[in-house]
Amino acid sequence: MAKITKEDLDKIKQKNTKESPKSWIKVGMSTCGIAAGADVVFNTLIEEAKKRNIDIAVERCGCQGMCFAEPLVEVKTEGLPVVIYGRVNPEVAVKILEKHICSGILVKDHIYELRSKG
Amino acid sequence: MDKKIILLKDSETSVSQDSTRDFYTLFANRVREDSLENEVQIVRVADIGIYNQGVIVKILPQNIIYCNVKETDISDIVDKTVKEGKVINELLFKTEPKQIRIVLRNCGLIDPESIDDYIGKDGYQALKKVLFEMTPEKVTDELKISGLRGRGGAGFPTWMKWKFTRESKADQRYVICNADEGDPGAYMDRSVLEGDPHSVIEGLTIAGFAMGASKGYFYVRAEYPLAVERVEKAIKQAYDYGLLGKNILGSDFSFDLDVRLGAGAFVCGEETALIASIEGRRGTPRPRPPYPSVRGLWDKPTAINNVETLANIAPIILKGGAWFASIGTEKSKGTKVFALTGKVKNSGLVEVPMGITLREIVFDIGGGMISDKDIKAVQTGGPSGGVIPKEFLDTPVDYETLQKLGSIMGSGGMIVMDESDCMVDIAKFYLGFCVDESCGKCVPCRIGGYQMLAVLNRISEGQGKISDIEKLKTISLAMQKASLCALGQTAANPVVSTIKYFEEEYKDHILNKKCRSHKCTHLLSYNIIQDKCKRCRVCVINCPVNAIEGDKEKGYYIKSEKCIKCGKCFEVCKFNAISKE
Repeated sequence: MAKITKEDLDKIKQKNTKESPKSWIKVGMSTCGIAAGADVVFNTLIEEAKKRNIDIAVERCGCQGMCFAEPLVEVKTEGLPVVIYGRVNPEVAVKILEKHICSGILVKDHIYELRSKG
Repeated sequence: MDKKIILLKDSETSVSQDSTRDFYTLFANRVREDSLENEVQIVRVADIGIYNQGVIVKILPQNIIYCNVKETDISDIVDKTVKEGKVINELLFKTEPKQIRIVLRNCGLIDPESIDDYIGKDGYQALKKVLFEMTPEKVTDELKISGLRGRGGAGFPTWMKWKFTRESKADQRYVICNADEGDPGAYMDRSVLEGDPHSVIEGLTIAGFAMGASKGYFYVRAEYPLAVERVEKAIKQAYDYGLLGKNILGSDFSFDLDVRLGAGAFVCGEETALIASIEGRRGTPRPRPPYPSVRGLWDKPTAINNVETLANIAPIILKGGAWFASIGTEKSKGTKVFALTGKVKNSGLVEVPMGITLREIVFDIGGGMISDKDIKAVQTGGPSGGVIPKEFLDTPVDYETLQKLGSIMGSGGMIVMDESDCMVDIAKFYLGFCVDESCGKCVPCRIGGYQMLAVLNRISEGQGKISDIEKLKTISLAMQKASLCALGQTAANPVVSTIKYFEEEYKDHILNKKCRSHKCTHLLSYNIIQDKCKRCRVCVINCPVNAIEGDKEKGYYIKSEKCIKCGKCFEVCKFNAISKE
């Protein structure tokens, strides 16, 4: 890989600020999340999305800070605010895919935070 | 038009009955009556971030928050706010966000294993600015304006540390990131390294530039395998991009970075012991001065900064020292990350501006106590800190105030304790930790800690004498004054502060042989209350040492000489027929 210059740095920045897909799922995968089962949830989301032919980017991120509610799953879809689900297990993960992603219905009792802007 | 979303949550933490369910039904009925189902989505949420304000109703996308909503208000909310978009002022909840995220700015937002994600969030822009627009002197000047102080615990001004290192004449200087986080209950640094490793690498590189150091080390404890993995990955990515290595971004500044693992000794968080450990020697501290900024790693000037301190650098460079200094109190600027744990409802990481009160952290952010037991104290600073009793919950959190109260800011552990926590037991736990971790080099720490622990054990076993309290104070003073490093100097703090605020509890243990929190097992006795006992034999079966004897006719009793006070019978009895006192 070639070394970058300061101009390249700005190009990479622009590319990465623009290119955020319209819908995504992020799973908190720090030690606190993994200890609570985030890796299982992460794999479930990828597998189940594939099974259902849902085209969505499943990514991992660090610790949000709400360790009491791990595993945390953050969801962004078009037309809906960014939702952070907590205490997610594989069953809730499936619900998130079926209800939230496919039908735009939020999954109740598992929402811990909601941001109106992405 | 986007669908409106109505969020519901009963925010009362003290009541056992959650009324959210009833409200949900009422709301849903009302919405259906008005045939608004297709425009409105009602959602019950698990947590809304507001506590003890009755039922909370939040309406999106306008982001209107109503608190203390009564069932009679539902019609009004639907008619006025949902249909017409008007705000009902009487119900409106006004609040300022309590948390400010500087250190944790990217944690949970970006993929920690992607350097492009970090660059997308202004990553390495501060490094660029420093390399092409600033001189090393200007960098330290900016830090001076910002008032940033070391986040590892002691609170030494960062700009001074950097300046001293730069001004020491040498052919080679070093910067080290201290990620040997060892306080029980503290994990802020781990989360930063796992969630945003590049922010620390950027801070470290800027530090290298500011003091003319061409080599840096990450000293991470080996117990953080994921943090180590992500830091190593991040360093490799930075090298690939030329953000580390020779001529960074085409400038004439070169900087190399390497990871060294700590083998799990708490004392290696002390800077001179840390240096010894990196050099491959046994991790023990040495007397200061000379300070590492004069003679550090391999006898060269060295600056050692904590993870959180370094994560603060890039935002300060980009937004300016004055911006940073506008947050916090007069002497403590910026924010502090705390790992909030213990008997609090929402344990986790919080980043708050300096000067916030402990009450706000525990009750407004932490959501209050986890059970109906009352708060007793908050412990800050881990084994080097002390307890702050509930009377002082309204004092602002900054370096000086906490010190005045007999605790320290520390690296950021914050443990909430309730009535079921015994202060003698707490002191014993922290002191025991320091005795285990004492490197044994200096006498006050090695012997003093051991002897104090023996006294504490005696007290908790009901063998204490009233003169023991004085003895603990004397040994504490000797350790504080004569120990070689901060570990020994501060090891007595938990004991000193628990005696200071909870001397009555110590006396209770010594004179009345009572532990009011039922923690010290030696002072407990279990008995079967014959009137309540149904003779079901569950306790008999579960007792691990067969200390419960008797038969169905005569009843059962616990033989105190056999009983090991494990509490198993108390746990398994369904009829509350076992007394514990």
